[in-house]
Amino acid sequence: MTGNADSATRKRPGWFARLTHMPRHYFAVDGGSGAHLLTALSQRSPYAERVASPRHANLLVVVEPISEKLVPAIVEIAQALPRPAHALLVGGPEAVCDSSTETKPADLQKVLPGSRHLQQVSVEGLLDAVLDRSDESELIVSDGSEVDSPTIQLPSRQQQEMATELAVLSLGPIQPFTAGPLRLFLICDGEQVLSVQVESGYASRGIAEAMMQGDWQQALSLARQFDPLAPIAGQLACIRAIEQLQGWSPPTLLVKLREAALALERTQNVLWWLVRFAEILDVAQLLDRSYSLASALDECSARLWQQSPTTWLLPQYSGTTAMLDKNTATLTRLRQVAESLTALQRDVERNRWPALRTRSIGMLSTARLQAANVTGPVLQASEQGEGDVEGRLRTRLQLASGDLLEVAETLAAEQFLPAHAAYWTIPAGEAHAEVKGPRGTIGLHLESSDNEKPSRIEWQSPSAALLPLLPEILAGQKLADAEVIVASLDLAMAEADG
Amino acid sequence: MNALLISLEVLLGLFIGTYCIAVLQQLMLLGLRRVGIAFTLPIANAVQLLRQENLVPRGADFFLYRSAPFIALAVVALTALVIPLGPNLIGFDPSIGLFYFIVLLSPFVVAMMNAGWSQNSKEGLFSTFRAAAYLVSYEVPIGFAAIGPVMAAQSLSTQHIVQSQAGLWYVVWQPLGLAIYLLAALFVSFRHPFDSALAGDELEGGVFAEYSGVRLLLFKVALDAIFLILMSMGILLFFGGWQGPLLPGPLWFVLKTLVLSALVLWAGRFLPRLRHDQILTLSWKILLPASLVNITLVGILTLVIPGGS
Repeated sequence: MTGNADSATRKRPGWFARLTHMPRHYFAVDGGSGAHLLTALSQRSPYAERVASPRHANLLVVVEPISEKLVPAIVEIAQALPRPAHALLVGGPEAVCDSSTETKPADLQKVLPGSRHLQQVSVEGLLDAVLDRSDESELIVSDGSEVDSPTIQLPSRQQQEMATELAVLSLGPIQPFTAGPLRLFLICDGEQVLSVQVESGYASRGIAEAMMQGDWQQALSLARQFDPLAPIAGQLACIRAIEQLQGWSPPTLLVKLREAALALERTQNVLWWLVRFAEILDVAQLLDRSYSLASALDECSARLWQQSPTTWLLPQYSGTTAMLDKNTATLTRLRQVAESLTALQRDVERNRWPALRTRSIGMLSTARLQAANVTGPVLQASEQGEGDVEGRLRTRLQLASGDLLEVAETLAAEQFLPAHAAYWTIPAGEAHAEVKGPRGTIGLHLESSDNEKPSRIEWQSPSAALLPLLPEILAGQKLADAEVIVASLDLAMAEADG
Repeated sequence: MNALLISLEVLLGLFIGTYCIAVLQQLMLLGLRRVGIAFTLPIANAVQLLRQENLVPRGADFFLYRSAPFIALAVVALTALVIPLGPNLIGFDPSIGLFYFIVLLSPFVVAMMNAGWSQNSKEGLFSTFRAAAYLVSYEVPIGFAAIGPVMAAQSLSTQHIVQSQAGLWYVVWQPLGLAIYLLAALFVSFRHPFDSALAGDELEGGVFAEYSGVRLLLFKVALDAIFLILMSMGILLFFGGWQGPLLPGPLWFVLKTLVLSALVLWAGRFLPRLRHDQILTLSWKILLPASLVNITLVGILTLVIPGGS
């Protein structure tokens, strides 16, 4: 996240301007890369309010890229908006993946003619665009195609506990519980979920195929988009694999610095997830605290590096400490954020009220998770405790708190590294690298037959490992708990769909 | 002519009060540093909804879908009639004022159920079931909580209940009754944390999922208004109504109502949205026995406290 200008420095409208200032009630569609951006936007200004139903909205905000599979759902939402209504498409050129792949992103300008397009993807830029009503034209929906309604096989009456009328509720594909689109068909007996069918693939971009078509530098750039919410993790996995092929081991100090950048990214992800989770639980106090921490950490992170980590993470590239801004104020602020996060973690552990909605639901056993190759906070929560939603919340906060304190200590220490440029000669061979991402271990299996481009790439996605578990974790739960359970897993659909 | 004038006064008072509740909610969200926005945003929101198209979903029930917001608003206006702002400053003063008030709360929930059912959508239907469950659950505790002041005042007249608290407010010796009343009041007004019929993300906005424009605005006004009315009834039953030193009675009444509303809204910030079964458990397993205990205690204390009755 970038562009976190202090909102207090922005020009404030007068009384009359405030009265005539029309609020925006927007319905947000995240193609897979905009979860943090949309979460930050939802808390940024009282004049821009995110709504749960498109009927209550006067603006449709779509974060691109959008897959062709998701287009009918967007059309349906656009048709549901009461007029006057407008659409805003958000996405930078970097967000659009290689058009030569089979999974081409949809051209929403054609589907939603009259919509505005915003290239810049900073929160402040997006907020300005949302509130700006100049050059705005009425939303027109050109395509009348409808969302597919697959046939759902219902259990027979004998298999049901009470033999009552069953209802199939479709959650998604556009819903706020996951970072990106996912569709769940919940077969409900009253408020109880009997069984679940999962439909994914709405955020598929064909990253692995695209990486095999370009050269090594393009592959590295695309690796950043494997998980758009954690670009450093994806890129570092690719870099480690390349360095393995080159037979090069990075110096200890560089490893530490890389780990610090990675840990910072993990913490940012946890905090933005916490904001989304608090929104779903609807605990205003937790929402306020987590949002202020997430914003503060983004601000620190933007000021911390003189050079973007995506530059100095390149294979065999080493910078000097010049890449780290040794500004004492920034480091002090980082330490303050780390301490505030630790305090929040303690408060969450002490405060029993949120546990009313998080305790003893969505439990997953360690053995089941290990069998499904699940890694990361979800597995750790099961290893440390009951593995319910509350456990996952605590574990994430505990890990993030530890990560941030470690980062603050690492960056405060004086470090000097030899500097040289990135080295791009890649020998033939194969390598496997793993990186500890925010949602679990991101793995990359890489094969190279020549120096030009990778010949085979296979990603190991932590979110994809959790998807097959959804039916068993949701069956038997209450309908209202389904959203909390799914949200607690922190699924990043762009990463899961690949 | 007089009745028309009273009706207009009640409606005006209701709209001003509703605006105050909307401002309070904004202040809770934004904090005291952004008072200006808190005062202007509710008006801007209302204007925006007035300009919006009124959509009717395919297959919606013609009469129920259109009439639900008006029924909700009409019910709120009717309940407001029996709230005395000051001595003899009341729209309608029947001897069974409190009974009239509690009976009229049910059609408000019925309006919500109509809104959900008439949309012709599964989400609306699920919300209707939730609203219906609340209707059954809150009715008994709120009635029992209100019996305490009635027993002490020996009257169902709202004016008389206030006058009987001249010596001692009922909150002092009926705190349990107040707690039960406030919780049940939150049920009735679909307030956080008991708002799963309205705000569940899994139901895309619940009962109001398909409403837009003026009808949505009317529902929002009705929701804020019923909350205001319930809080003012709480002041009337437990905090001595308009009674207080120095300031005029109506001003005391308004101040007390706003302070109680602010406290209740603030307390809700710490709680997650409760699940429907948790709400029902709270009602039947905790509030109902507690309200019976309260009635017993009040009965004993009414006999013990000098001038208690």
